[in-house]
Amino acid sequence: MVRIEMKKDEGRRKSGLGSASLDEERLDRRDFLIRAGFTLGSSTVAACGFAPVEKAIPYLIEPEEVTPGEPLFFASSCSACPAGCGLLVKTIDGRPIKLEGNPEHPISGGALCSVGQASILHLYDSQRLRHPLRAGQPSSWTEIDREISDQLEALRGEKRRVCFLTGTVHSPTQRELINRFLSTFESSHWASYDTPSCSAIVEAYEQTHGIRLLPQYQFDKAEVIVGLNADFLGTWISPVEFARGYRTGRALEGSRLRFSYHAQYESRLTLTGAKADDRFCVTPDQFLPILTGLAARIVERSEKEISLPAPEASFDQLLDPVVEKLWGSRGRSLLVCGVQDVRCQVLANLINELLGAYRRSIDLRYPSFQRTGDEAGVAELTSLLHEQEVGALFLLGVNPAYDFPREAQLLDGLQKVPCLVSFAPYRDETSEFAHFVCPPPHFLESWGDSSPTARVLNLVQPTVQKLGETRTIIESLSRWLGETASDRELVEKHWREHIFSRQVGFRAFEDFWTKTLHDGLAPIRPERLQVRPFQFESIEFAAITPSQTSDTVSLELYPPTPATDASPSSNPWLLELPDPLTQTVWTNVLIIGIAHARSLGLETGDLVEVSPTGTGDSLEVPVLIQPGQHERVVALSYGYGSKNSSRFIGTGPQWLERGESTWKTAIGVNAAKLLKPGEFGLHSVVTPVEIKALGRRTEIPLVQKPESSFPERFRHTPEGRGILREMTLETLLSTRPIIETEHPEDLWPQDHRYPGHHWAMMIDLGACTGCSACVIACQAENNIPVVGPDESQRRRALHWIRIQRYFTDHDEGVDVAFQPMLCQHCDNAPCESVCPVLATVHSEEGLNQQVYNRCVGTRYCANNCPYKVRTFNWFEYSANDQLENLQLNPDVTVRSRGVMEKCSFCTQRIVGARIQAKREGREIEEGELQTACQQTCPSQAIIFGDRNDPESLVSKLRQSPRGYRLLEELNTKPSITYLAAVRNRESEGGEPDE
Amino acid sequence: MSNAPRVDPKLLSDSMSMGSVTAQICQGLDRPSSALWWGAFLAAATALGIGVAAVAYQLRVGIGTWGLNNTVGWAFDITNFVFWIGIGHAGTFISAILFLFRQRWRTSVGRSAEAVTIFAVICAALFPIIHLGRPWLTFWMFPYPNFRGPLWINFRSPLVWDVFAIATYFTISVLFWYLGLLPDFASIRERTRSRLRRKIYGLLSLGWTGSQQTWMRYETVYLLIAGLATALVISVHSIVSWDFAASIIPGWHSTVFPPYFVIGAIFSGMAMVLALTALARRMMHLEAFITVRHFDLMSKVLLFGSLVIGLTYVSEIFFALYSGDEFELFVYANRISGTTWGLYHAMIILNVGLPQLIWFRRIRASIPALFFIAVGISVGMWIERFVIVMGSLHRDYLPANWADYTPTWIELATLLGSFGLFFVLYLLFCRFLPVISISEVKQLVADIARREET
Repeated sequence: MVRIEMKKDEGRRKSGLGSASLDEERLDRRDFLIRAGFTLGSSTVAACGFAPVEKAIPYLIEPEEVTPGEPLFFASSCSACPAGCGLLVKTIDGRPIKLEGNPEHPISGGALCSVGQASILHLYDSQRLRHPLRAGQPSSWTEIDREISDQLEALRGEKRRVCFLTGTVHSPTQRELINRFLSTFESSHWASYDTPSCSAIVEAYEQTHGIRLLPQYQFDKAEVIVGLNADFLGTWISPVEFARGYRTGRALEGSRLRFSYHAQYESRLTLTGAKADDRFCVTPDQFLPILTGLAARIVERSEKEISLPAPEASFDQLLDPVVEKLWGSRGRSLLVCGVQDVRCQVLANLINELLGAYRRSIDLRYPSFQRTGDEAGVAELTSLLHEQEVGALFLLGVNPAYDFPREAQLLDGLQKVPCLVSFAPYRDETSEFAHFVCPPPHFLESWGDSSPTARVLNLVQPTVQKLGETRTIIESLSRWLGETASDRELVEKHWREHIFSRQVGFRAFEDFWTKTLHDGLAPIRPERLQVRPFQFESIEFAAITPSQTSDTVSLELYPPTPATDASPSSNPWLLELPDPLTQTVWTNVLIIGIAHARSLGLETGDLVEVSPTGTGDSLEVPVLIQPGQHERVVALSYGYGSKNSSRFIGTGPQWLERGESTWKTAIGVNAAKLLKPGEFGLHSVVTPVEIKALGRRTEIPLVQKPESSFPERFRHTPEGRGILREMTLETLLSTRPIIETEHPEDLWPQDHRYPGHHWAMMIDLGACTGCSACVIACQAENNIPVVGPDESQRRRALHWIRIQRYFTDHDEGVDVAFQPMLCQHCDNAPCESVCPVLATVHSEEGLNQQVYNRCVGTRYCANNCPYKVRTFNWFEYSANDQLENLQLNPDVTVRSRGVMEKCSFCTQRIVGARIQAKREGREIEEGELQTACQQTCPSQAIIFGDRNDPESLVSKLRQSPRGYRLLEELNTKPSITYLAAVRNRESEGGEPDE
Repeated sequence: MSNAPRVDPKLLSDSMSMGSVTAQICQGLDRPSSALWWGAFLAAATALGIGVAAVAYQLRVGIGTWGLNNTVGWAFDITNFVFWIGIGHAGTFISAILFLFRQRWRTSVGRSAEAVTIFAVICAALFPIIHLGRPWLTFWMFPYPNFRGPLWINFRSPLVWDVFAIATYFTISVLFWYLGLLPDFASIRERTRSRLRRKIYGLLSLGWTGSQQTWMRYETVYLLIAGLATALVISVHSIVSWDFAASIIPGWHSTVFPPYFVIGAIFSGMAMVLALTALARRMMHLEAFITVRHFDLMSKVLLFGSLVIGLTYVSEIFFALYSGDEFELFVYANRISGTTWGLYHAMIILNVGLPQLIWFRRIRASIPALFFIAVGISVGMWIERFVIVMGSLHRDYLPANWADYTPTWIELATLLGSFGLFFVLYLLFCRFLPVISISEVKQLVADIARREET
């Protein structure tokens, strides 16, 4: 859109034939003849030329709505994880190039997480299977269908079962088809599991409310939030939705001031813990005593007759202030518990019941389907497998050879199945020995639907022609059922038969279908669930005996931050995305507390062997010393070390000094195999573990130097360098304004004038959770290449926006805060004055522009940038012959070797909005223009707008008492204003209340 | 020239005649090259070859073959640049400033010092070119007429000032050096027997006749250019220092930089000249012309330089303490006790500690000892530039951006190559041109003779 429109625009200006003037002019006969003659003549001459055949756009008959270069948006739904966020897929010239959140979607509300943003890269992944495999060899669908049908036919009369092993499946059409497919056999079994699992929650509701469900947590309605090992802002169930809700409950600007109180009990530092007002670092075996203590105190206050085990007195300090707040705002408080232990979950339900959370902040009538895994069924499947009772097994969305613990013996059982069919999109660990692999297409090239919660029903529509001979799962199943329907027909049929009846306001199915297709979301009446009230009597609370807390060391396994499950390891964008807490890229590390490491004599980078006591399993990993980690808990993320990641080992420029990569076979280690199979699902805490130093070291690719190497007095407290500022809510409310900022006298106020717009950005550090969705959104929007693990280690990653992390020590532990760092678009930019060739210049709208084709690469601008936000193309990173290049945004230049680059404030979007506004004869309106980072931010921490417009949000927020410009004393006059982070603490000086 | 010439007779080893001066200085030019010369030349040429290979590889693959990163954008490249520019300064200092101050001891070392200047500037100028991301576009840094509309160079950029400063400096240095060579070219022309050489040297001498008028004009022009060059000694390194001083990076942004850099340049350059003179004296058998007295005098310049450098080191720290600025304080704290503390302390020892030995007369009389000190200072001054360039960048404002730097072997090879280039040029100079100004030595001989008469 941008480029074509610019040409038109220029042409108009040059010829002086503005469209407006043409209308006003009275055309007389002579002029008419002159113009008509010119038109005829020129068109005749033009028609005589040999026009080249346009191959760029392969439409035989161009669809009416497609204009080359102009983006089209299609509503769809993200299937990268079961959270089911709504999408708007931006396509240009018939190919999707960017995913954006659908602003009208109730779950994501226009935001999207980093995993969702990165999922577009899988569409163009050249390693994705493009045809079915039979015994590991490429095959054809006809052959596959024939063989599978034959095998299934043989099973129909038999006693042996046909089984499905899946992850969470909440697509109504898919569920219906699987059920229909299974029902054609004598006996069948459908087992599912999730990594991480939520089945303890589901099981607890069975006990307390008599129904298996996963409730909908509504953080926006809670004024006091207590989290127990639930990283709801980072990785737990539906982080985008929860982060949005959490943010709504913490609004310091606007008409109504709300600020929730949040306490977090956790053993490793999480994004949620980093945000908490009070964070309590406990061991995993303390969760039960803590919950017992909380419950006992609340029962006592509620004057209910419930007998609980006697709480331990040692937790008084941890519990009393929190109980006070929980009870004080009962009816408006919420406790979320992510502990994979039914006893804990039952107590959590009890507390929530007594606090009245079910009336307000937890919705049981319209539950969530975002985690439906039920590991009890997997145990059953395992025994069936070992008894050779299974005739055929279909694997969907799971990779048990990689992410299921070996201890559970599922893997051995899988080898015994005579017909193992995998629906994996890649060659993975399990499809390696599957008899058939039937790869499904990417969700951007297929029809589908999803229902992440009872209220939401999404439609998934294809946005591009299939890139290979893949086939959707529903289509494959229907084929094996003897039907020949396409995926579209199957979805439409299911919707016509089962969903249309729940519609609101439509007579004809076609209208309903069109509307849904347009919105991506079905206008339906949600089905309300009848839930019986909590029955205290049914539960023997007194029987809950806390296990003895011990001094042994536990290992906590966690999903890679930021992601919600164990599968980012085949996406280079996500692999190169720094973990916001550890600042590691491309690998997983064993996180260890400071004192713990000291007692073992370990330094960051030392290799250790970690092994759960009593099992034969062990892993060799480097350690990373991290503040905020409990001294008796070590943590390791899964999602690494997969077969699919091994292809990235050599990623990066090939040159002499590259040397041998740290990784020999895969990137990182596969920690999922240490997960512990338990009664209700896979346990992510393994106790006890042994840690043995190996006496060897390795380089950990860290984008930020470990804080532990900093001299003590340069710990970057708010008082120190004034980089990342924080304040307590009390301070903000009582003594405003707090932040003293120097406003140096401007000697040349007329140096830069901004007659039209003056773009500015606002970053609310109080809202930012560090989730890093903005980093990937920017990478997708601005064609930022991946540099590979070795180059990342050299600090040459090219991200235009980074999430920088700072620790602040205080008596009770450590505070963590994040600061998104991107080009500050200074009005007095230090980079501009030093460039010898004027490759970086100031626009009259306040943008600091980088002219790539003028840049000679002196790197002086980067040196002189106090924020160090400029990144350099050390090598030629782009390649011409990659399928992945189809994702590139045609509105953004692909940079070549030897030039500097940096954030442009999404200048292509500004130009696009300007052209659109000009065409419609108006000014750019507030809110119509969003940068990629702003668009995707779940907590609306980034706001972009025109500073010259006094009514714009940025103008207003620039005056906020929390606002400060970074390193303002240098007089760089940044266009970005940071709003200081706020913690809901009573005391001043960064200490939690006593 | 005054009537009673004040001249130190120790500047020449024994009394010599006008004819023997020419013969002795030119003896090296007539004889075939010695084994020593060939050995040195081959070593230098090998180093140059390694450097050329490294640079070729870097140009083909990318600047990423250096150890730089997004935080440390300059390290070896600009360190080497400043180092070589600094080396060049002694030549101009000796030939121009000492000429204006009528320091007669410059006579024997001036010519080679000027050659050092030119070769050092050539080495220096290479680095800003090859360190570019796209070196093939270097010409964009020059203000030449083009068709790119309003796009020209940015006159606010210190790098553009650099381009002008270095270009001017190089031009003046070459002119000055060549001008001084004119009478000597004529001398060689007169004494050589080969027709070809006579033709070449005749051409080079621009038809020098040796008439009274020629000499008068020669001396006027020489004096004028000496005056110009004197200004350049101050200006060039001041401008180079603005590359840093005009930035806003703590450790760079400092008003003391221009004088600090100028004195540093003269200091490091004098050390290099001393070391090279010691080598040339030995290799070209010039003991008669370059005496212990010369070394004694040069070493005193070194001693003075080290004291001033020591003062700037102290005053930098004082400024930081006096400013009370968090960032400024941290830069010096980091230099002294951070990850690169060893470099800082090596710099202090080599540049301030070691030269204090020169206070002792016995050290001043020992050429090997002075050679050792001079090499130490050269290394120390290289480290100083590295500490300034890299040490300020790798720990700047936002701790999250901090990074470390280690050179790759390609950078090391490039540094080696620049030494190779320098020595190849210097050895060729020793072989084909009079290393000592014949005409000036003759003047000295005459003056000493006149002094003895009175």
